[in-house]
Formats: sequence, structure tokens, C-alpha cells
Amino acid sequence: MLPFFLYLITAVLTGFHVYTLLTLTLLGAPVNPLELVSLLGSLALLIAAYISLFNPYIAARVALLACLAMWSFYAPAIAKSIRSGGEKPAAASFLFLTPRDPAKRNAKF
Amino acid sequence: MTLPYFAIVFLALVTLYSGFVSFREQQDASAKNWILPKAPGGPARIIVGISSVVILTAVAIWMGLGTRHSSVRSWRFLIPEGYTGWVRIEFEIQNAPSLPNEGGQFTITIPAGGVVRTSSSEQYGPANDQYFYYSAQEMRPLPVTGKGALIWGKINGEAQGASGKRKFEEFFVGTEQQFKSQLKE
Repeated sequence: MLPFFLYLITAVLTGFHVYTLLTLTLLGAPVNPLELVSLLGSLALLIAAYISLFNPYIAARVALLACLAMWSFYAPAIAKSIRSGGEKPAAASFLFLTPRDPAKRNAKF
Repeated sequence: MTLPYFAIVFLALVTLYSGFVSFREQQDASAKNWILPKAPGGPARIIVGISSVVILTAVAIWMGLGTRHSSVRSWRFLIPEGYTGWVRIEFEIQNAPSLPNEGGQFTITIPAGGVVRTSSSEQYGPANDQYFYYSAQEMRPLPVTGKGALIWGKINGEAQGASGKRKFEEFFVGTEQQFKSQLKE
């Protein structure tokens, strides 16, 4: 039963995470094709969870392939995050690092 | 905000686990081990399988209905031609004018100073906002995506001031290079 719950929880977590990122496209964010690959990986992992109820060894192989698909998105994302020194997106850092008066902020433009 | 961390931790766990199981020889059916998998028995398989499908379907329907019922915000931002810098819209300001609504679409005209104060309320959720540079002669749309995008760093927030809490929305108008350079300062 362990593989079933492990695969199911991971599929839901990663799938929901990438789904929330994809909804940002409604706000004008560009679509990253690797997000779609990762979403497919989550779906494959969900399928692997159900296969594990019948044949855990085949399910493990499907899950491994699904994980590779998901890492194609997560690995570059983690690498980029580390390279930027944990820098937050503009939205968050800007709140705390810049003065609140737009006139001061805009003085250079 | 913890969702990505949990997702990555579980993904790493599953990768290690599935890799370990995939490259290991199958055990005989009598060997008992809680880590290495054995297919569950018939009743357990049916109960777990059906209940998880029901739960996942219910969650998917609930999320789908939530998305369908949420209205998409559609605002039109009119920015002075050539303006570069931060724009801020402050909401729920007493005695300030409300935002004009034309055919269901709110229009926000940004003055040269970049700050707009309105008595109208902020609208959260999915948005289909449009941005235009305007001048006496013409109005031209601003790109919001791609390499030539001119809108960056959009945020919603709440600030504590002398007159109490203020809800505001901000975004940067300019090139990506201008946006990044001013963030570093």
C-alpha cells in the first residue's frame, strides 16, 4: 500500500503545483512547455499509483519515467532559483526593499 | 507558499523509491517487507481504488465549478505615452472618484505622476487586463508578454499608513532591463 499512497500524494502535489503555475497564464505569464511535460508526468504518476495496486514493480517503472518527466521542469527551476541566490520574484522583494513612494522610485526615469 | 517545497521533497522521495524498486529483483510472494511492494489483497485494492477515485473526482469537480463561477476581471489601464516607472493604484480611498465603468470594463487613467487614488474596491482573481499608451493623437496597446513586454512586477498589497490600511496594486512600465536594474538598487 506504501507505493500507492506515495505515488498518489506526489502526483496530486506536483500536479496541483504546476496547475497553479499554468493558471498564471491567465494573468499574462508566458507558458513554459516544460510545465506541460511535468503535468503529464503527474498524470503518469497517478496512473502508476493505480497500477501499483496490481503490479508494484511495473508501477515503479512507470513512476520512474513519470518522475524523469517532472524533473525536466523542476530541475531547471531549482537550478535557476539557486543561481539567483534565492532572490524572490519582483513582486515579493519589491514590497520590502524599495521605498513606497512611486515618485522617489521613479526619479531615475 | 510551502506547496513547491512539499512537491519537490515528495518528488525526490518517489524518484529514489521507484528507482530502487525498478532496479531490484522481484521478491518471492512469501517475503514480507513494508518498504518493498506487494500488491494488496482484493478487498483492500477495491476499497482504496474506488475511494481515491471518488475523492479525486470530487476535488476536480469542486475546482472546476469554482473556476467557472469566478468572474474574470477586465480592466483597461491608460498610461501616458512614453511613461516609464512604477504605477500605483490605491483603492477604497474616501472622497476619491470611483473608477469609470464602460460596458462592464473599468478604465483607469494613469496621470503623469503614476499614482491613482480611487474609492472603488480592488478585484482579485483571474484577470484579462489591457494596457495602453495614450496621447492626444492615439492610443496604442502595450505588450505584456514575450521579449518586448513592457509591463512587469504586478503586485497587490496592503500598506499601513497614517490614514489606516490602504489596498493597492502596482506594476512597472518599461523594458525588462529597466525593471531588473531598478530592482537591484
